[in-house]
Amino acid sequence: MLAIDYGPTGTVVVSGRLDAAQAAAAQAFLDKVEGTVTVDCSGLEYISSAGLGVLLKTQKRLLASGGKLRLSGVNRHLQDIFGYSGFDQLFEIEPLR
Amino acid sequence: MESRTFQRNIGALEAVFAFTAEAFARQGIDPGVLQTVDFAVEELFTNMVKYSPMSEAEVRIEMIGIEGGVEVTMIDYDVEPFDMTKAPEVDVTLPIEARRPGGLGLHLIRRMLDSIDYEYSGESRQSRITFRKTAVAGSGR
Repeated sequence: MLAIDYGPTGTVVVSGRLDAAQAAAAQAFLDKVEGTVTVDCSGLEYISSAGLGVLLKTQKRLLASGGKLRLSGVNRHLQDIFGYSGFDQLFEIEPLR
Repeated sequence: MESRTFQRNIGALEAVFAFTAEAFARQGIDPGVLQTVDFAVEELFTNMVKYSPMSEAEVRIEMIGIEGGVEVTMIDYDVEPFDMTKAPEVDVTLPIEARRPGGLGLHLIRRMLDSIDYEYSGESRQSRITFRKTAVAGSGR
């Protein structure tokens, strides 16, 4: 399952699995964010291409208005996927410590 | 070898992932490759759902542990041939203005898996995709 909500510091906190069955819920949430937003991915265990599509669509929208998405707490598996998909060139990514 | 069938809809993914996790645990398969296997299974399953909507048959997934990893076979019944392994490459170096959502899944699994093979039987109208993932080969974990 996926959980996505604002954290105490204004970041967006996403946890669980961002797969094709959860992509619509994630997109509905991210469609409402504005400006430059950090997404805390430290609890995100898994992402598929459907989830990548959600991030890409949101990044394109925010960049068009001068904002952007930053991804923090990205685990090794997600780093691999972002690397293979070229997303490491499209997003600021901070690895999980 | 373990085998199960799943309804042809995206809502079945939760059951699919439960099956892969259970099969890994029961067969003692290296859990380090589970995320990559789930990724590949999801991409192939969702493509089967999207591109063969006329079929009412369930999709069968078979899993067997091999040395250092797992072999997975996904069988799609009552469908037209569609070799997903031949899907065009995606240019992942394009700037964001030129990037479009979609098409990445098959591009990614070709990089993350050790091997992927497609067979089609016209007589039984059956597509069969078999892939292998081990912890010691292939680029993704």
